Amino acid sequence: MAQNRLTRFLRSEWIYIVSSVLLVLFPHIVGWMTDSSPFGVQRGTRYIMSGSAVYWMSILIDIFALSVLVMSYNLMFGFTGVISFGHAMFFGLGGYLLGIVTQMTGLPPDIAFIAGVALVIVVSAVLGLGIGFATLRLRGVYFAIFTLAVSEMVLIYFGRWAVTGGEDGFALSTIPVWIDAAQSRINLYYVSLALFAGTFVFIRRLVNSPAGAVFKAIRENEMRAQAIGFNTLRFKLLSITIASVLGGLAGIIHALLAKKIGPEMLNVSHTVDALLMTIIGGVGTFTGPILGASGLTLADVLLREATVSIGSLTIDIGDSWLLILGLIFVLVVLIFPFGIVGTWNRLRMRFTRR
Amino acid sequence: MLKSLVPAGRGSVATSVALIGAILLFALYAANFSPGIFAITLLSGLLRAMLLFLVAAGLSLIFGLMDILNFAQGGYFMLGAYITFDIVHPDAGVIPFGGFISDPTLRFAFAIMVATLVGAALGYVLERGLLRPLYKRALFQLVLTFGVSIILLEVVKFLWGPSPYSWTVRLPIQEAQFRIFDTPFSTYRLFVIAMGLLLMAGVTVLLRRTRIGIIIRAGVQDPEMVSALGINVRAVFTLVFTLGCALAAFGGGVAVPFLGATNSLGSTFLLASIAVIVLGGLGSFEGTAVGSVVVGLGWAAMEQFSARPEIGTVLASMSPMLLLALVLLLRPKGLFGEDR
Amino acid sequence: MTPILETRSLTKAFGGLVAVNDVSIQVEEGSTHAVIGPNGAGKTTLFNLLCGNFKPTSGRVFYRGQDITNVPLHQRAHLGIGRSFQIINLFPNLTVLENVRLAAQALGHDNFRIFRRASTIVSYVARAAEALEIVGLQGQASVPASVLPHGGKRKLELAILLAADPKLLLLDEPTAGMASEQVPELMQIIERVRSLGGRTIVIVEHNMNVVMNACDRITVMNLGQVLAEGTPAEIGANKQVQDVYLGELYDLPGAHA
Repeated sequence: MAQNRLTRFLRSEWIYIVSSVLLVLFPHIVGWMTDSSPFGVQRGTRYIMSGSAVYWMSILIDIFALSVLVMSYNLMFGFTGVISFGHAMFFGLGGYLLGIVTQMTGLPPDIAFIAGVALVIVVSAVLGLGIGFATLRLRGVYFAIFTLAVSEMVLIYFGRWAVTGGEDGFALSTIPVWIDAAQSRINLYYVSLALFAGTFVFIRRLVNSPAGAVFKAIRENEMRAQAIGFNTLRFKLLSITIASVLGGLAGIIHALLAKKIGPEMLNVSHTVDALLMTIIGGVGTFTGPILGASGLTLADVLLREATVSIGSLTIDIGDSWLLILGLIFVLVVLIFPFGIVGTWNRLRMRFTRR
Repeated sequence: MLKSLVPAGRGSVATSVALIGAILLFALYAANFSPGIFAITLLSGLLRAMLLFLVAAGLSLIFGLMDILNFAQGGYFMLGAYITFDIVHPDAGVIPFGGFISDPTLRFAFAIMVATLVGAALGYVLERGLLRPLYKRALFQLVLTFGVSIILLEVVKFLWGPSPYSWTVRLPIQEAQFRIFDTPFSTYRLFVIAMGLLLMAGVTVLLRRTRIGIIIRAGVQDPEMVSALGINVRAVFTLVFTLGCALAAFGGGVAVPFLGATNSLGSTFLLASIAVIVLGGLGSFEGTAVGSVVVGLGWAAMEQFSARPEIGTVLASMSPMLLLALVLLLRPKGLFGEDR
Repeated sequence: MTPILETRSLTKAFGGLVAVNDVSIQVEEGSTHAVIGPNGAGKTTLFNLLCGNFKPTSGRVFYRGQDITNVPLHQRAHLGIGRSFQIINLFPNLTVLENVRLAAQALGHDNFRIFRRASTIVSYVARAAEALEIVGLQGQASVPASVLPHGGKRKLELAILLAADPKLLLLDEPTAGMASEQVPELMQIIERVRSLGGRTIVIVEHNMNVVMNACDRITVMNLGQVLAEGTPAEIGANKQVQDVYLGELYDLPGAHA
């Protein structure tokens, strides 16, 4: 019986187990293949972060952070049917609050770091809950409007606030050594991997739980969900609060890797990223957001520096990145609305039914 | 659902009057009780109100008719502003044909015409090409208009760069000024207010007296009924969408001489216009007119208030969002709202 | 005995249009009570007021003597009031079983358990399966609701209602849009539910054979108001009802007696 359960588990989850093992070993595999150390180059007691292994870890950390952001957005949009146009706000606040606590309170780095993370969780939850509470009793579009308005306000405010360096932002320098991207990137890698994997498992469990069933019911037909006895407001608030906290945590990872915090973290482009990756990967699927986030990050890495020449006009892809994303976004919504995973599931269903 | 066929009751009129009264008091306080500054604040408020109306009228009709909140509406306003700016300032521009007309006033009129036409064309494209295929998927429509708003913003940044432009060509109509309580105010702004009022009246007549206007109003009440009458609702949708976007682009063109061309125009006017239509009651045209005045006055008063050194300009940039937040928190059903 | 459901002077106006006007009805516990009337008579609006989807402009609603006028939609389900819809109103992309299981889960205490798989909570699955069996959909439990034919969707609508085990069923035209040869099957299901006992049914129905044969009392509505109320025989013999409305629209079995 117990063995039966195990084999069943292995059979359905093998792909995730293999992926996890590969991701855990990834720094060492890349290090071995490129003959570089995932710990960087040692200079006395310090490490210099250079070499292919370190570079590739950074890319994966970026993917993890973006994946968490996109998964959290998908929980709201894909599974609960709630649209937010201000998810970048949580991402940015994650960075800003951590930075403010670690750089400006004078607490010892370890304590400041933990306090910063705790603050991010509390503020994201309260903010998400507050916006939801104020608007979700009304028509669905009010939540989208309100998130857009509040995120614009937060962006303007931090862009002008002298304490956080205004438009220039500020550097994140007093970070505990064990998670400092400039000292021990491999630790940051494992922390982000843990957050990434934890988020994936958590969202899967959540969506398959009784509460998750209600999320999907709200997405499908909210009035009917109320008619059979669900207080849908509570479930929407739960979904939004979780998504907000995860968005904030994703911002922390991003800030830890970049070691710099500025208004660009609050930019609407992160909302566009989240929306676009959710749709490209597959709305309301578990692996879609991860595929979308990985694809976007890799495309970003490969194409940022590139230029395209059309006749005499030279277009710098990095400069018009958001324009390109916007165009892709509209095209995907129009011609590929189920995304990669959604389309795959549909095809598979069609074949198995035959 | 069945919707009200009777005009708003006395309660909403009383609330509107009370609200405008409260804003006037705030404006008076913001103006430090100086009659000149107060009068100028009111005029600026009315000016804002007219510009807001140009964006919000389309937003409101589109919402009432198609149940789509067009997040790209602010983008059309911004694009109208940039196109007009570009044609009138041939040396700074991207568009090549502005220089053919030497008289600046004529060039300005021509520029506004071009901006309006571009707005109409792009509105038509958005409705026919992008939204129509998605009529069965409302969430995706909303998301799509948001995507288009990003594209419009990025196109403007791509063509004209990220920095703002201020208007430098002096038009004769701008030079004239008059004074109230010894404070100067440009006659051109007064002209814009008058034109806005004229357009407001024009749209009202269009909606109340013409056949197409009656169809549009009936469609706002109940789209299914209109299609049941054998009218091509889709064509009405396209018409309203095109006109709405043209009006917004026109507004941007009219506004650019005093607002300058900046890429924050889109989001500020979008959010302030949403405040207008939420306050006015989603889908109510009379509400949009009253809402424009209330939000316009509130906006001007906040800007005046933020001129005080202890308040700071952050408040001025945030006022559209603050107004929207206030409206959503205090009066989400609007002054002329219906419970739907 | 207190009626299970009572309305007093219930009125709902949409702007200038009064959809339900001063309606006072009483529904006895255990009875089957039909509400009939021409299109636009206000039947569906009345149902929306009874189940809590709309707030009345004036008047009150009582359930077992308790004033529930201001009780929101989702809490009325917990009181034992269940409602089916005239238009298809399901969760289209969820499976048939999930549709019904949600209804079973709604009134339980596991809604906020976020670490348990919903499909492993046996009691809800069992109750859902039972409801599917009553309506005869047990063979299609794992297909998405959207792929069911229209008749199947109507049955699913009933199964969702039954899974919550309500004491008062508000059925808004359960046979709407069905081909006439499918109607008897659905009415048999309703009859079976009725025969299980302990339930009160309020039904809006256009099929007069069904109404006359299966119901204990009939309320006739017209233009938002109650035109007449009584037993099927009384309604059939009511001159006013016949003149104003029934005789023109339906071939009433009792009308020519």
